[in-house]
Amino acid sequence: MFRIKFPIICLLLISFRIVTAQNCAQTSASQADIDLWNQHGCWQTFYLWEYQAYDMRSSDWNNRGWNDACNRNMEYPKHWSAAYLLTYGLADDNAHSFHGTADYRGTAERPGNNYHDSIFHSPSDDLTIFGSWTYHTFGSNEVKTSCPLYNPNVAPNANPASRAGDFMHEGWHGWMDKYNYNNGSCSGHRCGPTGNCSVSNCDYFYFHGIGAYAFGAMYQTNGTASRFHSPNQVQVEFLCDVADYPKSWMPASVRAAARVDANQRASQRFINGPGYSCGNPRPW
Amino acid sequence: MRPPRLSALFSFALVVVACGLLQAQVTPPKSTTPPDPKPDVDKGRLPLRPAPNLAAATTLDAVDAFVNWASASTMQQSDEVRRTIAAASKNAFAAKALCDELARSQKVDHSRSVILLSILGELHAPGSTACLVNFLHQPFPQKGTVIDGEIVEQTALGTLQAKAVDGIAFQHTPEGDKEVLNAVAQHPSRIVRAEAIDAYLWNHGDSADARATLSKVVKPDEKIFLSRIRRVQGQSAADFNRQLDVYMKAHPEVAPPAPEPAKKETRPKQGVNKDTGTPAPPR
Repeated sequence: MFRIKFPIICLLLISFRIVTAQNCAQTSASQADIDLWNQHGCWQTFYLWEYQAYDMRSSDWNNRGWNDACNRNMEYPKHWSAAYLLTYGLADDNAHSFHGTADYRGTAERPGNNYHDSIFHSPSDDLTIFGSWTYHTFGSNEVKTSCPLYNPNVAPNANPASRAGDFMHEGWHGWMDKYNYNNGSCSGHRCGPTGNCSVSNCDYFYFHGIGAYAFGAMYQTNGTASRFHSPNQVQVEFLCDVADYPKSWMPASVRAAARVDANQRASQRFINGPGYSCGNPRPW
Repeated sequence: MRPPRLSALFSFALVVVACGLLQAQVTPPKSTTPPDPKPDVDKGRLPLRPAPNLAAATTLDAVDAFVNWASASTMQQSDEVRRTIAAASKNAFAAKALCDELARSQKVDHSRSVILLSILGELHAPGSTACLVNFLHQPFPQKGTVIDGEIVEQTALGTLQAKAVDGIAFQHTPEGDKEVLNAVAQHPSRIVRAEAIDAYLWNHGDSADARATLSKVVKPDEKIFLSRIRRVQGQSAADFNRQLDVYMKAHPEVAPPAPEPAKKETRPKQGVNKDTGTPAPPR
C-alpha cells in the first residue's frame, strides 16, 4: 500500500510546487542586461561553475531558464549574468575601490566562510521584496532574489548591477547572523522612517575611508562603530565600485544603473545619512 | 475521531522528507542554444565600434542605433559619446525622437530611460531641455507598491527625475538653475532633492556662493546634504579620506551608535559551516 501511496503523494506535492512556481514574466530583459550579456555571451563553462558556486538547485529554478541557460530574458540566466558582473567586472583598484572582488564574492557565494555560514540561492515571485535572507536550522541558509530584480516592467532594480547588489545586501544579513549582531526588527533593519532615513527599513552608515579595509578583509569588525558595515552600506559601496571603478569593458548602461541605485539608497535608507554620493552629476 | 496512529504520522513525515530529497537533487543547467566562445574577462568580448552619426540622424532607426551604441559604450569612449552628442545639438529631429523614446521606455525599461535622459542632458538643444523640464514636472505618485519599505513607483520616477535634474543643471542657464533650485526646495522626493543639490554644487564648481544660494532654499532638515561627500573617478584615496575626516568633524551627529549584539541563543547548524570552498571561477 505504501509503495502505491508514496509516488502519488510525492507527485502531488511536486506538481503543487510546479504549479505554484513562476509567476514572474520572463519575456524581456532591460537594456543593461542586454548590454552586459553581449559582453559575455553564452559562456557554458561559467554558468556550469556558477550554479555550484552559488548552490542553485534545478528544483528551485526549473521553468526559470535552468534548461534554457542562454535565454537572457529568463531568471536563471539573469542570475548568472549578475554573478559574471560580480566575479569579473571590478577593477580592484587598491588606491580607489572601497572593497575588492574577494569581499564581494565571499559575500555572495555559497561556502561558509569569513562572511557567512553556507548559503544557497533561490528565486521568489514575492512582489513585496527585492530579496531576503532566511535562517535554516538544517542545511544552508537561503538567499532569495525576487521578481522585481528580474522583470524590467516591475521595478527599476531589474538590472544586473542592482541584482548583484542584492546578493551583497542579503549576504550581509548572513554576516550579521554569523557574528551575532541585531540590525533591527523590520526585516532585519531598524524601523523607519527615522532620522535621515525616509523609508521603513533603515540602517546606519558606518563611514570609513578608502584603504581602511584590505581587499578580502571586509568581514572584519572590532565590535564598534569604527569598523563595521550594515547591509545597505555594503550594497552602496559595491554599487559605487561598479559605477566608478569597473573593468574597462563595463557598459555605460550598467554603470549608470549602479550609480542611480547607489545614490537613491544613500539618500534615503540611512538613519545617519546620507551616505557617500557616487560619481559626479554630469549627465554623461 | 480516532487519533492518527504513530506509524501513519511517521510514514507521512518520511514521504515529505523523501520528496524533499528528491526535489533537492541538482541536475546541471543546460542551454538550448550552442555556447559562444569564451569571452576575454579582462578586455571584454566586443571590439570598440565607432559612434553612429547622431547629428545626421533623420530616422528613428538612426537615433535608436546611436542610443544602443552609447548604452553599450565603455568608459574609455565617454569623451567620444559626449562629442557625438554635442555635435547633434542642432538636430531637432533627434531631440524629439529621444524624448518620444523616453516616454515609451519609462514604464518598461528603467535602465534604458536613464541612458536616454543622459543623452538628452548632454544635447543642449531647445527640444531636449524642454523635454527634461517636462519630465521633471511629471506628477509624483503618492501611493503604490511597497517593496522592502519603499514605494517602488516613487523610487522609479524619483531616480529618473533626478537624472533629468542632472541634465537641466548641466545647461548652465538661469532658467535651468531656477528649475534646479525649485527641485531642491519643493520636489516631493528626497532622491530628487538630494541630486538637485549635488548637481547645482558640481555645476557651480562646489563654490561657497553656490552653497550660500542653496542654503536659502534647502529644507532645514536636509542642510547636511550641502556637505555630503562625493566619491568620483580618479580621486585619490588621500583626498577622499581628508574630505571624510572634515565631514565627520563638522557633523559629529552622524557618528553611528555602537553595533548591537543579538540577544539569541547559539543556534546549532548541522555540519554545513565548514569552508568547503568552490573551485576558482573559469578564466
